[in-house]
Amino acid sequence: MSQRTTPRRLLAAAAATGLILSACTAVDEDPDTDDEAIAAEEPDAPADDEPSDEDTTDSSDSTDDAEDTEDPAAGGDITTGDGVTEEACPEAVNPDNGCIYLGVLSDLTEGPFAALAVPITDAQRAYWAQVNEAGGIAGFDVDIDTYTRDTKYQPAEHAAAYQQIEPNILAIAQSLGTVNTESVLSDMDANDIVAVPASWWSGYAFSENDHGLIMETGYSYCVEAMVGLDWYGESHGEITSIAAVGYPGDYGGDSAAGAQLWAEQNGVDDVTVIPTGPNQVTGGQDAVVSAVMAAQPDVVLLAVGPAENAEIVGKLAGGGFTGRFLGSLPTWNPALLESAAAPALVGLYNHLAPTEQWDGTSAGTEAMKASLDGELPANGGYIIGWVMNYPMHALLEKAADSGDLTRAGVRAAMDGLEVDFDGMAEAITYGGEGAEVAVSGLIVGTPNAEAPLGIETTNEFFSGPSFEAIGYDQACSASS
Amino acid sequence: MATVASTLLAGLGDGAVYALIAVSFVIIFRATGVLNFAQPGLLILGTYVTSVLAVDRGVPFWVAAVIAVLVVAAISMGIERVAIRPMIGRPVFSTALVTVGIFIVLLILAFRLFAARARTIADPWQLEQWCLVQGETLCAVSLYQHHAGKIAVVAVVLGLLGVWLSRSRVGLAMRATSLDQEAALAQGINVGRMFSLSWALGGGLAALGGILLAANGSVVQANDALFALVALPALILGGIDSLRGAVVGGLVIGLVSALSSTYQPIHAPWLGPNFENVAPYLVMILVLLIRPYGLFGTKEVQRL
Amino acid sequence: MTTVAPDSNRATQDGAQHGAERSSTSRLTGQSRALRSGPGRGKALRSATRGRPRLFTSYDQDSALLNTSAKRWWTLAAISIFLVLPFWLTRDLSHLLSVAMVMAIAGVGLNLLTGYAGQISLGHPFFMALGAYTGAVVAGVPGSIVIGWEFDLSIALVLAAVIPGLVGLVVAPLATRVRGLYLAVLTLGLLMLGEQLFKQWASVTGGSGVGRAGAVPVLFGNDLERTYAVGPLLIAPHVSLYLLCLTLLVVLAVAARNLARSRTGRAFAAVRDRDIAAEVMGVNLLRTKTLAFVLSSAYAGVAGCLFAILIGRVAPEQWNILMAINLLAIVVIGGVATISGTLIGAAFVVLLPRILEWLAPWLPFVSTGSGGLITVFQLESILFGALIVLFLILEPRGLFGLWHRVRTYFATWPFSY
Repeated sequence: MSQRTTPRRLLAAAAATGLILSACTAVDEDPDTDDEAIAAEEPDAPADDEPSDEDTTDSSDSTDDAEDTEDPAAGGDITTGDGVTEEACPEAVNPDNGCIYLGVLSDLTEGPFAALAVPITDAQRAYWAQVNEAGGIAGFDVDIDTYTRDTKYQPAEHAAAYQQIEPNILAIAQSLGTVNTESVLSDMDANDIVAVPASWWSGYAFSENDHGLIMETGYSYCVEAMVGLDWYGESHGEITSIAAVGYPGDYGGDSAAGAQLWAEQNGVDDVTVIPTGPNQVTGGQDAVVSAVMAAQPDVVLLAVGPAENAEIVGKLAGGGFTGRFLGSLPTWNPALLESAAAPALVGLYNHLAPTEQWDGTSAGTEAMKASLDGELPANGGYIIGWVMNYPMHALLEKAADSGDLTRAGVRAAMDGLEVDFDGMAEAITYGGEGAEVAVSGLIVGTPNAEAPLGIETTNEFFSGPSFEAIGYDQACSASS
Repeated sequence: MATVASTLLAGLGDGAVYALIAVSFVIIFRATGVLNFAQPGLLILGTYVTSVLAVDRGVPFWVAAVIAVLVVAAISMGIERVAIRPMIGRPVFSTALVTVGIFIVLLILAFRLFAARARTIADPWQLEQWCLVQGETLCAVSLYQHHAGKIAVVAVVLGLLGVWLSRSRVGLAMRATSLDQEAALAQGINVGRMFSLSWALGGGLAALGGILLAANGSVVQANDALFALVALPALILGGIDSLRGAVVGGLVIGLVSALSSTYQPIHAPWLGPNFENVAPYLVMILVLLIRPYGLFGTKEVQRL
Repeated sequence: MTTVAPDSNRATQDGAQHGAERSSTSRLTGQSRALRSGPGRGKALRSATRGRPRLFTSYDQDSALLNTSAKRWWTLAAISIFLVLPFWLTRDLSHLLSVAMVMAIAGVGLNLLTGYAGQISLGHPFFMALGAYTGAVVAGVPGSIVIGWEFDLSIALVLAAVIPGLVGLVVAPLATRVRGLYLAVLTLGLLMLGEQLFKQWASVTGGSGVGRAGAVPVLFGNDLERTYAVGPLLIAPHVSLYLLCLTLLVVLAVAARNLARSRTGRAFAAVRDRDIAAEVMGVNLLRTKTLAFVLSSAYAGVAGCLFAILIGRVAPEQWNILMAINLLAIVVIGGVATISGTLIGAAFVVLLPRILEWLAPWLPFVSTGSGGLITVFQLESILFGALIVLFLILEPRGLFGLWHRVRTYFATWPFSY
């Protein structure tokens, strides 16, 4: 009967596909070049994107025989490719300039890091607006709005968003989250897309984890723990016992691993690792409080969120705990000084950061403050977001100077790139492995209601002896 | 011994909040047969309104809390009228998914309102504690006032609720509606109004849960909303349509989670970090194996 | 199932000359041997059936997979379009479509369990994770801590169905004891326990917050990450992944549809509608529920394996309740107990955010930064939630219901009732 044949027809079609797949021949050994070749062969995107990327897709047609662009500012010839157009950016500051498109993949609505990621992204927009006001980079303005996407901190959304923006961007100005970034890393490798991460996993210092594509800013949580403990040893006396409290994984796990490495190096046996979860899952931090109380360490390293931080410090102080606390970068929020834990925080807690705080004095910090006209941001995410742009800015300028603003050119420019962050963070030379690229400059802050964003800087950049002594030859926490 | 006592007290304090949230689920479930996934959104709105009134406007905490509960109850009633009423008689899946849609909307709203800020609610307990047993140097067994306060508030509110449901005319009408809507209608009960009332109650209780969650001496952020889902095992453990079950379930889950967070890292570290997050589910699964309708749930009458 | 005495049939059949009459009886009896072995083998004259697509002259015909010629042509057209589509679409859209197809595979599996057999499950992502990790271990590359055996993807895909299926078999007796929302939260518990296990088992999953890459797509010895030429046609990596997903989706969806119209499918429906009644009629409850569980877990496993390949990296945290709700949304929005509905539902849930992304900038009061009234991203999410609500209120039977209404309207035109 005829209707019986249809399922067979379906199966036949499926089988045929399978046969075709198994019968066909590989075109080229090098995936890089044939990607480009395909991009050139394929017809344009259907007219369902915003008008601006019509232009960019057009320019991608000429990827291989990269076009030469007249460059009014530098006078030299700059080769450009995907993600760079001769046409001005949408709503351009300098209508005569071309446009460099950067992508942002961040957690902008309901994900767990939205409170931090939104100010980060705001700062990035302000930074590039300021660069454009000053004339852009070698005759190009920089646009990061068009390809900003919300990933909700989910790898699936991140990967889809990456696939969507990849044809039209030159590089990624913010890639939030370790798993998310790693999920598209092999694609980024194939496409020569360089990214600045908004996550501080120790693995990024090693090319087995980042294929030399990730430009981390500041230290990793692992190094933070080491240097933080060194600082504590110098300013608060010898350490005989440590507790490392944190969320397992690339954040608390990395920090706890750093504490353990430090303890091994310095002959401290008493390290208690106390994993915990955010309040929305655990309801409260009473278990952490009793565990720390039982261990009675000299110093507690915290790698949690702000609410958990305040609860732990407040309850322990109330219970008569006399040790001190070192809180990782994301543990602070200015609102903590309104909470009941404020006195305990002021007395016992220090905030660790890889960058200057809002009360910093470097040229970079001044420029950042100017970008908000004296207003204060919602939290310290704004500082992170501002600092994160320096490597990308320097990279683009270096690539433009060498006359090659293609993706490959940008990637090549990363090797040996020196970035000084205008004094906001310790200078980094990119392109190395492990300790060559990892920095350890630490700014310690003390809570103070008078200080902007509630944190008063207590010292210049500090780098203890342990980090160099330990060496840094693999990621501290799990990498796969 | 001292650790056991502190752990049990903390567990009861958290358990009281779980119980409150579980009751809020039960009330809505009994009236409209829906597992309301929008509860997290209502919970965090309760926290937000209290915070705005008590911290930004300087309204006394208790007044702010009452206003917040009323505001959220009104929102919840509105949701029922607009989105749930049209779904009566439709498949349960679809209605549950409608509440998921509402959840997404409310959650984004909460994120917008919090605007990346952490908030406090100026509760009267802060981080004060009472020392129950004095140790040598430090206090051996202490009770945080916020734990005691949570237990007291939940006890009073649920006690009043129980009396009201079993004594008052409206309360009886609500129970009649949840037993059999058509029979209730035949008795002259305005079933629609009972639906509204149940949702208002459920929303109000969720808001109160959010306020109590925030009373931990620390700050809250918008994504703390998801805390409401932690009460799900409490709900099922007690039986999804039983108020008594929800209270018992909440307390059990609070204790289980506190005990496992204190003792599992010492005695069974191989279970991994943060086992207390899944311990409630484990207990729930074990209970369901013995009693498929939870501890106090009504057995479904099965007819051919 | 109904059994009707065969002699009454034969009598009717002998007396019936008219096709329509025969059709009505065959529809009633179903099992008539006389019809099958009779002179016309239940076939009516072509002249009688022309222009009357719903005229069925045998039970086989009525219950066929594609029982009208319109359905046959539409299916054929849809498959051809989807075969050609990736060569015409941009890479990111074909990636998105591939994700939608993978979610559709998982959705079809969930629909077998929830839609057909009536067992609500929020634990489906757990089985997807099992499939993803099975695939990653069998066909993945080993890392500094994760294991990977680098076998062929075909083996990985088979095992990605078998292992979740086996786990489903172990879990099913537990799940068959409880019903309704109790089962939903019980399976949610399974999801939570699974997450804890996956976080601990770093040699398989890469550990929490870090994760691992999925299987390496080397199918039958062909590395799908290279570009192939078939005549003048170039098949890029994303296209071959797309075609792989499409093939599996078509095969698995047809298999599910086929199952649904079989004895087993009717047993599923009987259990869903009233399990005691089904038991009385001789349906083995335990066996039926277990089968539904095992099958849907296997579907989820295959989907999970493909999902990990498409996404590139999976971490233990992402198999969570939000994903479970997304899957449930695919089933309910598409239409409970319809396979084609699930396919549309998956497209809806996966593609709607992209469509909103195109629309959102045109709406007032939105900004990219956080300064304005509401950001474009918040607006997209709110619209997504609101559209789900609106849609379910207006069309509770899902997209399939909508399609059904449209079809009925045109089929009966100009008489709307």
